[in-house]
Amino acid sequence: MNDWLNFSSNAFIAAFFLYCAAFIGYAIAVAGKRWSNRDPEGHAKRWGRIGFALAALGWLAHLAFFFTRWKGGGHIPTSNMYEFMTFLGMAIMFAFIIVYLIYRKVLLGAFAVPLVIIIIAYASVFPSEVQPLIPALNSIWLKIHVTTAALGEAFFAVGFAAALVHLIRVVDYSRTDKAGRRAQFWTEFMLVVIVVVIGFLVSVFGFRAAGYEAQFRQETFRIDLQGQGETIVQTVEYGLPPIVAPYNSEKLSMDPFLGLKEPLFEAPSWMNGVNAGRKLNTIIWSLISGLILYGIMRLIARKPLAAVIHPHLDGIDPDDLDEISYRAIAIGFPVFTLGALIFAMIWAQIAWSRFWGWDPKEVWALITWLFYSAYLHLRLSRGWQGTRSAWLAVVGFIIVLFTLIGVNLVIAGLHSYAGV
Amino acid sequence: MKRYRKPIQYIILAFVVLIGGYAIGQSFFKKSTVLKAGEAAPEFTLADLSGQTHRLDDYKGKPLVLNFWGTFCPPCRDEMPDLQRIYEKWQGQGLQVVGINLSEDRISVRSFAKSYGVNFPILLDKNRKIERLYGLKEYPTTFFIRPDGTIQEIAVGGPMSESFIEQRVERLFQP
Amino acid sequence: MFQNTKCECGHQNPTGTVLCEACGNPLVDDLPPDSPLEMRYDGAARRSQKQNPDLIDRVWNFFSSVKVAVWLIVITLIGAALGTIYPQESSFVNLDDPAQYYKDTYGTWGMIYHFLGLSRTYESWWFIGLLVMIGTSLVICSLDRVLPLYKALSKQQVRKHLNFLRRQQTVYETTLQTEPAEWVEKFARELKRKRYRVWIDRKDGMALLAEKNRFSRWGPYINHIGLIVFLLAVLARAVPAWHMDKYVSLDEGQIKQIPDTPYYVKNEKFTVEFYSDDELPERLKGTLRPKLYETKATLYTCTADCDDPVKDPVLVPVKQHNIQVNSPLSYKGLKLYQYNYEERIRLISVKPMLVDKTNNRSYGPFELPMTDPPLTYKAGPYTLKLSDVYPDFGLDEQNRPMTKSRDPNNPAFVFVVTGPGLAAGGEMYIYFPMPSAENKKLQDQLNESFRKLGSNSGRFAFEVNGMENVSFSQYTSTLNVRVDRAMPYIWVGAAISMIGLVMGFYWQHRRIWLRIDGRALTLGAHTNKNTYGIRAEVAAALGRTGIAVEPKALDNRRNKR
Repeated sequence: MNDWLNFSSNAFIAAFFLYCAAFIGYAIAVAGKRWSNRDPEGHAKRWGRIGFALAALGWLAHLAFFFTRWKGGGHIPTSNMYEFMTFLGMAIMFAFIIVYLIYRKVLLGAFAVPLVIIIIAYASVFPSEVQPLIPALNSIWLKIHVTTAALGEAFFAVGFAAALVHLIRVVDYSRTDKAGRRAQFWTEFMLVVIVVVIGFLVSVFGFRAAGYEAQFRQETFRIDLQGQGETIVQTVEYGLPPIVAPYNSEKLSMDPFLGLKEPLFEAPSWMNGVNAGRKLNTIIWSLISGLILYGIMRLIARKPLAAVIHPHLDGIDPDDLDEISYRAIAIGFPVFTLGALIFAMIWAQIAWSRFWGWDPKEVWALITWLFYSAYLHLRLSRGWQGTRSAWLAVVGFIIVLFTLIGVNLVIAGLHSYAGV
Repeated sequence: MKRYRKPIQYIILAFVVLIGGYAIGQSFFKKSTVLKAGEAAPEFTLADLSGQTHRLDDYKGKPLVLNFWGTFCPPCRDEMPDLQRIYEKWQGQGLQVVGINLSEDRISVRSFAKSYGVNFPILLDKNRKIERLYGLKEYPTTFFIRPDGTIQEIAVGGPMSESFIEQRVERLFQP
Repeated sequence: MFQNTKCECGHQNPTGTVLCEACGNPLVDDLPPDSPLEMRYDGAARRSQKQNPDLIDRVWNFFSSVKVAVWLIVITLIGAALGTIYPQESSFVNLDDPAQYYKDTYGTWGMIYHFLGLSRTYESWWFIGLLVMIGTSLVICSLDRVLPLYKALSKQQVRKHLNFLRRQQTVYETTLQTEPAEWVEKFARELKRKRYRVWIDRKDGMALLAEKNRFSRWGPYINHIGLIVFLLAVLARAVPAWHMDKYVSLDEGQIKQIPDTPYYVKNEKFTVEFYSDDELPERLKGTLRPKLYETKATLYTCTADCDDPVKDPVLVPVKQHNIQVNSPLSYKGLKLYQYNYEERIRLISVKPMLVDKTNNRSYGPFELPMTDPPLTYKAGPYTLKLSDVYPDFGLDEQNRPMTKSRDPNNPAFVFVVTGPGLAAGGEMYIYFPMPSAENKKLQDQLNESFRKLGSNSGRFAFEVNGMENVSFSQYTSTLNVRVDRAMPYIWVGAAISMIGLVMGFYWQHRRIWLRIDGRALTLGAHTNKNTYGIRAEVAAALGRTGIAVEPKALDNRRNKR
């Protein structure tokens, strides 16, 4: 590891903690308005500024991380999941700064910054060393494609953050009719999803810090296209205690955890490949730890999380949030089109000899694009604004995340043809 | 403007039906390059072992057995004497037998033909061109071609027995 | 719904008009009287709306609806997503029995998936049908809206109805403290500074219209034109002459015709490089991580005797390129991509010596190419005549020599040697150029059996001195040959589409109307996007004319709550 890379990983840690500090600043700005002896406006403004300054500093550290890694690694760091997700986090920060400079809404930071923190924490789940490029990735168009697409997605992320604030802002806890309860349920559900993601991060980093390890071996027999049978032996390492073992596998080693010495059950047979079992196990752990985390929060707050946040948001106008969410998406849409579709096509044409191949990743980029164009048409021509538009922005960002992460994990994973 | 509204609508919808129909129609018909019985045998021009050129057209008007073979393919080798016998037997009645070698080296083909005593024309394909034109999937493949140039039957694989070939040759001579 | 289309200002509007074309007073209004107006397409009648639709009109109206367009988008989106559940058939290079494959690999669900045709989603009639319908919708929706919008925007009336002004999203009403005509002049100057085009009512100067960035309204339509060009270009790829997709596998040193073209391609050399361990991070050490695949290729075109069965084609080199994964060879619309490679050692040619074992003298060397070898060779005083070639040597059931395939995997050559001191008929020897113990044994055995048959005296052998006399191919490189004549149109479509998107999203059409009745100022402003921006702009301009107002206070929606 050379000096540049050393500096780079330090800058990354600095960025991470600065973001966390920025989040605390924003949280004080939002939550502390009603603290005694304070002028609420002045308080929010002051702490909002502190939050923004810290976030901007964090972003500078993030930039330093990016460019020193580029220098030290010899190629632009966007070529594996760790590098891409950190870049996405950086792009979201950039999009947030742009939108903040237009609208000057402190509250947005209170939601955009934690989103960035979650994304770069998620990035750190993946191996972080610099990997030399394989020939297919060694193309200027790929770099342009990935960075531009990530920037477009970053604006969608800011649109998502604003939409989420909007939803929590407008959810009405005094309503007891069906539609009102539905709104309450789904808003809370979104927060639960976020807590589950945090639960995933907590369990992965918790067990990693504890050095937990288990190993399985799976033998599969298959008949290839030439009609010849072959036995494939694969081994997989678990970082989390195996509740689920891969289908038809044998245990090689396993650290005991809270009396858990054997996997509780085995993945179903339709989950091909050893990694499918590992991924299922990770999902179960995320759900368990996420729900425990959520349960603790509910016990402390004694009311739904959205209801905890809701009263702190009354200083902001829902129409402004609607406008911010829409504007962020409107800025992001052309960038996304250019990066995720057009540049991708140019790269595919040069590297793979066809500009479009209906590969799952391509298809999902198209689905994202179609979804956001439906969003824009519904909004511009059918007058879908406010809550309906906000839900679309939330769903849209979920599709973005599925395209970025889910396609690699679920589609490629369950069929294990990509060998990821 | 109002005057043109109707014609413009018709023109645009006509385009949609045409272009859209073409696009959707394409999805139904998968292009198949495989020859079927009843179709005309594709034209070719190839040289034989002595360098003389032969065209499919030269054989029009007479029933033709067109056999694709290679020295590397055991069933091709096995059926060669039977083909030669059929050729000798039916030659007088006007049957043509032509072997098309599967793009092998001239020397190997010549020595093979000599050692098997084949004396019907052996043509040399180059770069698998005619083989592709005829859409070969398996070796050997034999086309039984009527005097009018249409394919009566395609025998894929082998070796064919003498009686198998003879039955088909007889059918070629039936009006 | 379509009742009286004559406005109170006296203007006769076409059927379906929402806001009077002249004064903007709402004609069709299902909204509560104080809510912001529906400003889409400036309230102009869509072309297709008429009173007695016939069948053609109905079809037209169907495609003219944005609601239908959104449904089409959503259905396409769901269809596309279904196609990603299992790999598509097209992602396999050869799949002889897809039904069986899906059943074996993915079980019952795979069987259902294949049965429903989802394994060929993107080629299916319904998916292509959806794309065609989206294309139709793009044309008809745009046409129906852009023309009325263009007409409405090119003949705008400066003085608008009070209802029209008061029901904009951005509204301001006040009583002027200064001289109205003077104030209007001043306000107009401020707006001009912000790059607005300003019109003042010629009659009395008591009404104003300011507008900027009207061009951004055309953005969506330009985007749609781009998409249509793109879709048509995609369709054009189905025209056979416009599209070719073939694969050519070449050993090093081999030249082959690209099927159905006058072009030939030669693989001069293939290189594969892997990262060394010190270039790799800890976790990947010891793995083969490719660094470079490169085929040094030369493209030839045939100028004469191309289809001559006797003569060899005359080839002229036209292009040399080192084909890498991200760098295809490109010549007149023909593109050659690095697709795959295989390590497979094959001889190109050898230069053996003829060794006389009786006196240990060797003659030659003579050059023996593996493909199309010449008939005769000279080695010292001896002449060698090639009598048989087996590119992939093997023995048949009767133990006779044969070739197992057409590929030069293990070539063997049978020579008849004639010359001084030999019988007139010559002596027959077999020679295996591929150096292996097995070949050596086979060669000796066969030559021994020839000797027993009296075909030779066992006097000669073949020997290659050093690797410099052997040229061989280590890798077989597979190139993907493509012709895609529709590509330029695809890029043009994409570029037009992008221009439209940028126009439509990064500029906003802004308009400000005002009228003064006595000293009462009524101002309304409209933008299709970014109401925040127009409020700030109006508030700033008002501020400079001495009317201090918070941007937020201009928000009509907020004021109504």
